[in-house]
Amino acid sequence: MAITTELTETRRSFFAWITGLATSLIGLGLAVPFTGYVIAPALKRRESSWATVGTIDRLRTSEPTELDYAGTVRDGWRTVTAKKAIWAVKQPTGAVVVFSPICPHLGCGFRWDSVERAFKCPCHGSVYDVTGKVVAGPAPRSLDILPSKVEQGNLLVMYKEFKSGLDHPVEL
Amino acid sequence: MAEKLYKWLDARLKLTSLSHTLLDEPIPGGVSWIYVFGSATLFLFCLQATTGMFLALYYVPSPDTAYDTVQFIQHEVLFGWFVRGLHHWGASAVMVAIGLHLLQVYLFGAYKRPRELLWMVGVCLLLIMMGFGFTGYLLPWDQNAYWATQVGTNMVASVPLVGDVLVRVLRGGDTLGALTLSRFFAVHTLFLPALIVFGIAVHLFLLRRVGPAGPWSLEQARQRSEPFYPRQVYMDAMVMLGVFLLVATLAWTVEFPLADRADPADHTFTPVPEWYFLFFYQFLKYMSGPLEPLATWVLPGLFILGLLLWPLIDHNPERRPSSRPIALAAGGAFLLVVFALLGVSLWNLYTLPKTDPSVARGKAIFAQHQCVACHRIHGDGGMVGPDLSYVADRRPDRQWHIKHLRNPQSVSPGSIMPSFPLNEKDLNDLTSYLLNLKSESHKS
Repeated sequence: MAITTELTETRRSFFAWITGLATSLIGLGLAVPFTGYVIAPALKRRESSWATVGTIDRLRTSEPTELDYAGTVRDGWRTVTAKKAIWAVKQPTGAVVVFSPICPHLGCGFRWDSVERAFKCPCHGSVYDVTGKVVAGPAPRSLDILPSKVEQGNLLVMYKEFKSGLDHPVEL
Repeated sequence: MAEKLYKWLDARLKLTSLSHTLLDEPIPGGVSWIYVFGSATLFLFCLQATTGMFLALYYVPSPDTAYDTVQFIQHEVLFGWFVRGLHHWGASAVMVAIGLHLLQVYLFGAYKRPRELLWMVGVCLLLIMMGFGFTGYLLPWDQNAYWATQVGTNMVASVPLVGDVLVRVLRGGDTLGALTLSRFFAVHTLFLPALIVFGIAVHLFLLRRVGPAGPWSLEQARQRSEPFYPRQVYMDAMVMLGVFLLVATLAWTVEFPLADRADPADHTFTPVPEWYFLFFYQFLKYMSGPLEPLATWVLPGLFILGLLLWPLIDHNPERRPSSRPIALAAGGAFLLVVFALLGVSLWNLYTLPKTDPSVARGKAIFAQHQCVACHRIHGDGGMVGPDLSYVADRRPDRQWHIKHLRNPQSVSPGSIMPSFPLNEKDLNDLTSYLLNLKSESHKS
């Protein structure tokens, strides 16, 4: 008959403890890189770039003009050209203001009504004046202004998106 | 709290008797460090499965995207290079662990009655693991992946009669392309894992039915026994930790770079298979002409069949190595041949003239900056500037080129060449490319 090796309780718990330690170390050694690996790209802010949308001499004072923005954005491992329509308005002061094309209420696309001289959102009826201020409807804030600059007669815009529904603009 | 929860579960699921079944399996002759290879293999398989799942978060299996997504994992995702490194080195480690496991079982005669089926399922698991290696190698879609798989699938085509059909089925068409990549991906990440999990379950089930073999000496085995838990579990865990640290260190310190993006038009590329296929690669080099199908299919087929049926072939009931001269001699001879072939192959590879990766990058910079508009190389390009086909014969000095590219007029007064805005790395790579442009007689 075979003799079964019996260990004392102290020895048993010592081996159990070492086994637990070894497996925990492996677990930890994997958990840390895996967590970073999963989370990091999700938290990475989308970088946007300046892109020329046209020359400023095309703009007439207080007449909103729809211009095409074509900037390159990184979409994960892809570099894609993002095409967006943006609204540029030359102010009486000569400065140019560029509005994001997305209604800050719930994210629909609004249009310029040249008869009523107002930006109108077809979804829930928000109305904004030429400076972007809310004049009617459920919109919680003015139209979102995009960073823009003029270089050698060209209008450059950096496209950004903002959270909808808040009373102040928060960049996505 | 934990105790309360355990009691609650135990009352319903009878965990105590389960843990008794799982952990108190007696090991004849007692525990030993020599029994750890199976657990090490299982651990490495789990590591491969886990890292593989994480790689699949970002990898996209299409010729347009595979290479870019692997680059993305390697360079942009936090710890991406580490996860990919673990998967790469883990693949090698699992082959080593299987090899040692097989060797131990062979040496101890542990495949003999009543453990024949355990051995056979083990051989099947080895074959599945090689399938993982073969299908996984293509996925990064770099030059090495593409051309090594080209060679691998062409070997299938040399099978008599059915080869043509087989190779088409394997590739999903008549050439290696999008359908090959997607089916290799599906096989690597869905089909083979399902198969191997089933195989591992059967392997472990059989192990529990027949019990571990223990030492080859029957007297020793009968003298005493010791339960699997805690000492064997402790040894297995220590080895797992050691194996993990080894693989992690390799992943951390030894970069596993991608080759260039797969280019089906570039026939100059010499692919090299993974090291665990190298002995076979070398063997094939000796077998050309009419012997080729013999080497590619008949001999490996017979070998695998022999390995599979070995417990039925080897009738000697004796497990002690000293009483099994023929079996040990056969095993020893096989190892000698494999390692000799591996050695020769590695020696050949290290003496092969290596192309510096910066040369390829330099070539890309040369194209990107339209240098070809003014300079001619081997008959291609403009005639405004000097012909650069053998520029390194005339100008072998790296510093001269770097100065010249920064400011052409500084070393070549009156030159009409413009200076290009290149960073330090691009400058070095472009120079490496230029220095590689030399005639055969100047190549050492």
